[in-house]
Amino acid sequence: MSLVDSMSMAKPNLESRGKILARLRGRELVNCFQCMKCTSGCTALKLLELKPHEIEKLVNLGLVDELVSSDIIWTCVTCLKCVQRCPQKASPYHVIFALRNLAVEREVKAPEALMKAVSQVLETGLAEVVQKVTSRKMETCDRESLKLPKIVSPKESFQAVFLKALEEKQQ
Amino acid sequence: MKTAVFWGCRTLTSQYGYELSVREVLPRLGVELVDLREALCCGDPVKSVNDFAANYLAARVLALANLAGLENLLIPCNRCHFTISEAKKIVEQDEKTGQKICGLLKEEGLKYNPAVKIWHVIDFLHDLVGLDNVKKTVEKPLKGLRLASHVGCQIIRYSDLGRVDDAENPRKLDELICATGSECVDYAEKLDCCGYHLTYSHSDSALSLAGSKLKALQGLGVDGLVVSCPDCGTMFDSKQKDAATTVGAKLSLPVVYYTQLLGLALGIPQDKLGLQLNQSPVDLLLSKISA
Repeated sequence: MSLVDSMSMAKPNLESRGKILARLRGRELVNCFQCMKCTSGCTALKLLELKPHEIEKLVNLGLVDELVSSDIIWTCVTCLKCVQRCPQKASPYHVIFALRNLAVEREVKAPEALMKAVSQVLETGLAEVVQKVTSRKMETCDRESLKLPKIVSPKESFQAVFLKALEEKQQ
Repeated sequence: MKTAVFWGCRTLTSQYGYELSVREVLPRLGVELVDLREALCCGDPVKSVNDFAANYLAARVLALANLAGLENLLIPCNRCHFTISEAKKIVEQDEKTGQKICGLLKEEGLKYNPAVKIWHVIDFLHDLVGLDNVKKTVEKPLKGLRLASHVGCQIIRYSDLGRVDDAENPRKLDELICATGSECVDYAEKLDCCGYHLTYSHSDSALSLAGSKLKALQGLGVDGLVVSCPDCGTMFDSKQKDAATTVGAKLSLPVVYYTQLLGLALGIPQDKLGLQLNQSPVDLLLSKISA
């Protein structure tokens, strides 16, 4: 059953649709005429059946709540080909990211690794943990042994301001 | 020429070969790299969670470059380059968001300066240092090598944002590869994505994207793949073995960063370029150079 089939019984929610449009900083989305250029070039289409033109249509129909709780919005690879190629500037990538933001705001399940990266940024300033690596000759190396400069963490004031930014109510 | 440099998380925490080679190669071309006061996330993983907070992080990077008093900011990572370019546009064009972000920066005594220019290694070398100057610095032309380029997604799309190269027919990396004396081949899968972003949610699919591209390239019989993004490097080099299992192929394709390749052509010793850290069989490529 495709994403569209599963929504045949759903009721449009225009308020949620308005929330997505507000985050897009423009109304180009309503100009989508379903030419499917986005889907024909989509990196995630073959692998995970992401069809950006369907996402566009569903948002335009007001079926936003269903999309927000669907796993499909987490399949985008962010190759940006759809943004580049859309003749209507209705950027599916930005629509998908607006849906992801709304999903997080509503506390719908988001990929754990992503949430972990964000809390890592809050803690250390970086999204990743500094790793030791192994050379092809099986020697363990780190920044120090490679004579790379020490990583300087953000000043203490950063954490409070970043937290404020995370709590800023989006449109 | 002095330039600020923002590395991004991946380069600083695991892709040391990229950092080593950039730090080694650029000074030979007359560029002095100045690290920002702090290491910080560009905001990329935060984009999925909270667009405003992501743009704040990116704007903070630009404010740190301004604090260093430098107008050119080099960003060797494709994802960071995109995130910061998009935030720059938003801060400068969306007045309400821009004001809010500048307000937050002010709390830490930081100031956003629209004059800060963003560069990636590719356009920095090709356009600012200049392709001819790169050619002139080559001491040891890498004759006889047949290489393929992978420019990645986020430094070439989307064009409205002002990107490093053409979205559908990027040529700068190829020209830079040719400048080292090697041959650069064109291939059908050139614009295919490495899949990195999917590692957050669908890691097997991410690996199979990388694997399919490597498999196609191996079929072409090239001597190696040249990348210029730490995410692409992670997928094609560090995770090449894992990628091979997802596509059921035996992969043994040397993958190097462009700055590592250029470093070889400048006569810099391999260990100074971090080539011992590449996980793909780069010895296959290196033996052809010394032969």
